[in-house]
Amino acid sequence: MALFAISYDDQDVLREFTEKQSIPYPLLSDVDSAVIRAYGILNDQVKPGDLILYGIPYPGTFVTDADGVVTSKSFHGSYKIRDSPEALLDAALGRAQLEGARVAEAQGDAEVRVKVALRGGKGTIRQGIVRHAIARFELADGFHLYGEPVPEGMIPTQVQVSGPPGLVVHDPVLPPTAPLRLASMGVELQVWSGSFDIEIPFHAVGELVSECRPLDRDAVPIEVHVRYQACNDETCLLPKTETFRFDVPLDVVDIPKLGMHRGHGQREGNFDATPHLKRLLKRKFKESPLGFLRHAVLAARLNVAAKLRSRRDRASS
Amino acid sequence: MTIERDELGFDAPAPLGHPGRAGLPEGHATGPEVGERLPDFTLPDATGKPVTLHEARAGRPAVVVFYRSAVW
Repeated sequence: MALFAISYDDQDVLREFTEKQSIPYPLLSDVDSAVIRAYGILNDQVKPGDLILYGIPYPGTFVTDADGVVTSKSFHGSYKIRDSPEALLDAALGRAQLEGARVAEAQGDAEVRVKVALRGGKGTIRQGIVRHAIARFELADGFHLYGEPVPEGMIPTQVQVSGPPGLVVHDPVLPPTAPLRLASMGVELQVWSGSFDIEIPFHAVGELVSECRPLDRDAVPIEVHVRYQACNDETCLLPKTETFRFDVPLDVVDIPKLGMHRGHGQREGNFDATPHLKRLLKRKFKESPLGFLRHAVLAARLNVAAKLRSRRDRASS
Repeated sequence: MTIERDELGFDAPAPLGHPGRAGLPEGHATGPEVGERLPDFTLPDATGKPVTLHEARAGRPAVVVFYRSAVW
């Protein structure tokens, strides 16, 4: 698999970012946002001549097959909601890789084995980065589980994630079902068989992990509830409900090493971004002196706020 | 400055309404769709070497990430 990352940054910062943050793939420099524009993903809420931000994209990701044809893409409503590298790898490979993920396995039986993995970020939760709870079912030959909808009295397969306030759980990602016609009941059911995954994406927002506040706890409990009933053509086993519990460490946000971000208790980057910001400001000043001035006012306010935070932290320590 | 939380629950140092905090508007196009071939492009990498997408893939599947900035 080949990975490319594109931004409007110049080569100098990309070089330092690559070295100091040990980035193993090429960072490409689209300083005039030509490719961002050609792809139709220029952030058009930032107006030309406004601030230093003009030229940034709506962030997102494309995954292609070996012919360069898009097989999946991911654009979220907020720039703070981002995919983990593990999710991109899984999308490219077509199935979640559970090696290295935190896995909890139910006792199970000969007909159905279930395990649940937390995929992404080595089992930690960070602000906005999407993690996946992956329930992997492995069924003996001839057995199946039901997708929704099911007739009255039957049990559809359900996977639910519950956690503390500030954990946002997305809709489940379901694999395709196969139709199963039950002549005796005159219905067609949707079933899964063999080995398949049901994935529940989730992410943390400010109430749980915030980029403007140090962590207030080290870890939180997350539970994954799985309910199913396995049947074959002759019989159905008893319905089962399993709960998988994880104690999940929280992780702070990585921020660039810049004055305006300081005092929020986050993890700074490995290099000083100030000279790069100055160069970016110079570039943007040439494009739009008036827009630059508007930015400078806000930047000054953010810098003052950061200084006050630092002073307060020093005073309290 | 007080920290303002957006409607999705996220905090940020910049105030609400700042264009840097604007998200993707609902229904906004997000570039090439599933089933389409990614348009080719050539951009310099961090060392200045030009990289052409489909040539550099060398027949491999690709992940192409667009992000905001490594500076701020």
